[in-house]
Amino acid sequence: MDFVCNFPFFSILLTLFSGTICSMLPRRAAKWVNTGVILAAGGMSLALLIWMLSGGECFVYRMGHFPAPWGNEIRAGILEAAMALFFCLIMLLSMWGGRKKLDEEVEESKHNLYYVLVNLLLSSLLALVYTNDLFTAYVFVEINTIAACGLIMIRQIGRTLAAAVRYMIMSLVGSGLLLIGLCMLYDLTGHLLMSNIREQVEVIMAEGTYAIPLVITVALMVVGLAIKSALFPFHAWLPDAYGYSTISSAAILSSLASKGYIFLLIKIIYRVIGFTVFNNTHIINVLFVFGLMAMVFGSLSAIKESGIRRMIAFSSVAQVGYIYMGIGLGTKVGMVASVYHIFAHAAGKALLFIAVIGLTDVSGFSRRFIDQTGAGFRNKIAGIGFTVGSLSMVGVPVFAGFVSKILFAQAAVNNSRKLLPTMIVLAVSTILNAIYFMKTVIRIYTPAPDCGFEGVALRKEKLYALSILLFIALNIALGMSSQPVVDAISTGLDMFG
Amino acid sequence: MGVNLQANMLEAVSMILFGIGFGNLLLQKNLIKKIIGLNIMDSAVYLFLAEKGYIRGRVAPIVVDGVQSVSAYINPIPSGLVLTGIVVSVSVSALMLSLTIRLYRRYHTLDLDQISMMMKREE
Amino acid sequence: MNGAVWILASIGVPVVMGLVLLCVPSIRKRSAVVGITAAGLIMTAVSVFAAVGSGAGSVTLWYLAKGVPVYFQIDSVGQLFASMVTLVWLCGGAFAFSYMKHEENEKWYYGCYLLVYGIVNGLDFSGNIVTFYMFYELMTILSFPLVLHSRSREAIMAGLRYLFYSFCGAYLVLFGIYFLYRYGTTLTFTADGVLDPQLTAGRESFLLFVAFLMILGFGVKAGMFPLHGWLPVAHPVAPAPASAVLSGIIVKSGVLGMLRVVYYLFGTAFLRGSWVQYVWLSLALFTVFMGSMLAYRERVLKKRLAYSTVSQISYILFGLAVMNQTAFTGSMLHVVCHACIKSGLFLVAGAVIVQTGKTRVEELTGIGKEMPVLLWCYTICSLALIGIPPTGGFLSKWYLAMGALEGNALPVFGWLGPVVLLVSALLTAGYLLPVTIRGFFPGQGFDYGNLQKREPGVAMLLPILILTSVSVFAGMFPSALVRFLGGMLW
Repeated sequence: MDFVCNFPFFSILLTLFSGTICSMLPRRAAKWVNTGVILAAGGMSLALLIWMLSGGECFVYRMGHFPAPWGNEIRAGILEAAMALFFCLIMLLSMWGGRKKLDEEVEESKHNLYYVLVNLLLSSLLALVYTNDLFTAYVFVEINTIAACGLIMIRQIGRTLAAAVRYMIMSLVGSGLLLIGLCMLYDLTGHLLMSNIREQVEVIMAEGTYAIPLVITVALMVVGLAIKSALFPFHAWLPDAYGYSTISSAAILSSLASKGYIFLLIKIIYRVIGFTVFNNTHIINVLFVFGLMAMVFGSLSAIKESGIRRMIAFSSVAQVGYIYMGIGLGTKVGMVASVYHIFAHAAGKALLFIAVIGLTDVSGFSRRFIDQTGAGFRNKIAGIGFTVGSLSMVGVPVFAGFVSKILFAQAAVNNSRKLLPTMIVLAVSTILNAIYFMKTVIRIYTPAPDCGFEGVALRKEKLYALSILLFIALNIALGMSSQPVVDAISTGLDMFG
Repeated sequence: MGVNLQANMLEAVSMILFGIGFGNLLLQKNLIKKIIGLNIMDSAVYLFLAEKGYIRGRVAPIVVDGVQSVSAYINPIPSGLVLTGIVVSVSVSALMLSLTIRLYRRYHTLDLDQISMMMKREE
Repeated sequence: MNGAVWILASIGVPVVMGLVLLCVPSIRKRSAVVGITAAGLIMTAVSVFAAVGSGAGSVTLWYLAKGVPVYFQIDSVGQLFASMVTLVWLCGGAFAFSYMKHEENEKWYYGCYLLVYGIVNGLDFSGNIVTFYMFYELMTILSFPLVLHSRSREAIMAGLRYLFYSFCGAYLVLFGIYFLYRYGTTLTFTADGVLDPQLTAGRESFLLFVAFLMILGFGVKAGMFPLHGWLPVAHPVAPAPASAVLSGIIVKSGVLGMLRVVYYLFGTAFLRGSWVQYVWLSLALFTVFMGSMLAYRERVLKKRLAYSTVSQISYILFGLAVMNQTAFTGSMLHVVCHACIKSGLFLVAGAVIVQTGKTRVEELTGIGKEMPVLLWCYTICSLALIGIPPTGGFLSKWYLAMGALEGNALPVFGWLGPVVLLVSALLTAGYLLPVTIRGFFPGQGFDYGNLQKREPGVAMLLPILILTSVSVFAGMFPSALVRFLGGMLW
């Protein structure tokens, strides 16, 4: 076994322990440790990905000394490595982009805690990506929830506290369902490791004795994860949580925390239940329908919204809908499209959040739509970033969103039954997206000579500008050379099989 | 039906408890009652796990009198899971309670709806 | 290989120069801005003509998804459109140097103007439908700042409308691309269509529907009924040189899209005689008539010209929809003529605004006494648009009518088409010539005492003169052009 194979375990452990260390360090040191750890985890994921792409097989890493049915395991393939790398990258850029705002909004004594929480969140995300054990997954789901809750409430105003409580309650409902689901699955199959459960599930389906309980179990788990990732009817907590927390938190939560759950769901579909078994249940149709509804209603809510940040938060609801619709199509191409959209949405939405804070800051800290008039001129880099993010979300060629739309449509063409609804809703949602994003872009580029707000010089915000430029580069890179990414996703999904 | 129910009484009870807890967590307006619901729900899951992990007539896998036959012991993993789960639910409850205290200090009520109304008025 | 380099240069040079203008804050002096713009325009024009002259060449840049490369090639359609674009773009640019003096944010305008130039070149040289679509969307977005240059409320509403119509249309096109990907052998433009007969067997009616959606989608840009609503609103609010390229060139990209889809992807054999052809013909004819009627009723000169564009573009679409060689030649001739004429007319309207500030038709009484050369240009362009021999407009309409009558292939449209074209030509005369008549013959009661010489300077007149003379010469010495156009596909 190559030394590289230790990297998944190292990266989880490193992030977990650095979290503890950060709480004791002075503020500046904690900041550097945090950056260093994210870089290190990203570097390890990159090394792993390169090793995988240059011919490495996917592998199972045994934790402790217990063999398969008893011990705990980590599993890594191309998709896991790519996902981990991407999570680290977005995390790093979001932290950079929100650094200045964090210093302003959060009490100085709490900065250490913030870095602790970020490290914990990253560690739980990495664990969700790599783990091969359902109960471990559950534990890290809870850690993820707690860390995310902390990220929301670190900026202590009434709105964030209430948002954190709402977020907590919805999450606990979700994780309760997930927990009971996996206990029942354990009861049915007698295993906790994903690959072992899968074997047993196949036996159960072949014998046909416990088919209905199995479907109910799967449904419980899927609904639990759907609630946690804010699928349409369960999104009530989302706008306040993303709209009022400090900006790094909003970017991280919208592009990473919810995506971790979706990735876990995809893993469960492939590695625990089996793709074909899952496709034969009606759960997939339910996911498809709710995905479609999310795409439309999320966008409609975003149009009605008068605050710019809440608007972007509602747009997340719609984008999560895209991902679930792709899963609901029930083909491999659809799944590839969904995974690609996880990337595309994370890159675009984090960029939007980071950019929007630059705009509101030069508009007297107002979130109201009308005050953003001309903000694109006052903070140029934020204006450009917002425009690029919007275009990507609307699905304009050259940017990442376009490719995911092409992929979704290609997937829909292969499924004759779901073709028409997909196409219609994609069309409607594209146009709705265009309405509210373009409206905003025009608003920020409408000159407002006598608004009285000061502009900001690029020189003073080097880190912020750097993070936005890197985000833009990421969006364009994903949109221009999507082929290697799509290939990697496709091979990664095959490795799941 | 009756026989099945009798044989699986604890499972049935745990499911009913889970439903009660779930409903309370989702529907109660009072934050403390929500947290109580959360705890009922979690305990129901642990009851379920513990019941499923226990086989009548066997003992915990601790070797005392030299009996090493597999058929004498139960699988220890479910019990271990229950312990892990308890730890998780304790920490989650603690977090929820601390959040509740903060909210109460600020708004002097435990009702989430009232809190959102006050928040709107603040702005 | 040489051709490939020139293609990339014709796209890359203006894009880079435009970005430099937009992004480098230290370029502030007007002379520097104008200098860079002029240099960019000339360098691009040279690369375009070099690419057109090299005759052949193709280049694949990279792959967007499996089997979907970004691919450029030079073919006869691309040569025609690129040369036409360059002519109009140079004239519009030269005119803008003096026109934009009285507008704000000149730098912004020139930057976008250069960017769109590069994008349109990319559009003309695109070798497959996905590349085409990519540049088509980029063109929509980058031409958007041109529309809302003044940033007044009216301009913003017009821009928004432009954007929504364009996105709706683009989505219809994208919808079609998905199915072409599924049922075609390739997405590269191929002379007789790309449909795979084995895959399409039994799905013809569905594919016809898809073809119709794509035609409708490109019809948005071309201002074809029922999706023409944005055009008369968006074109007039832009600065005059921008209106000229919007009306002369950007709408033609819709025409180019339809041409590519019908002649190069689905193939005329697949569509000829189907309901799609008849619906398309009727939509085009209806738009011809409706546009003329609306233009006739409109009082603001620039809006009148925009409605006229709606009507004239559908002449071209009619020719494409007839699907035979004569009508196709007529179409392409009209593409060239209309580009020159309509740009010329918009530039005239712009010059009038600069010199007198008048926008409404009835205010223009007596301008012929003040600006005789300008009004002569206007008159000649109008005559060309109406189709009076020996101008280019006459020739293109002649070929269109001949094509429709040819071989009795079309049951009703064979005679209906020419009749509508004729009626519309009369209406065109009705809405364009009053300006001339009142301009030169203000009638009794006109106060001659207030007249002053207000002829615009040479810098403004020259582009207008060039466009006017091209539209006349195209009709007087047509044989080489007609031979080239006729041989493009047959």
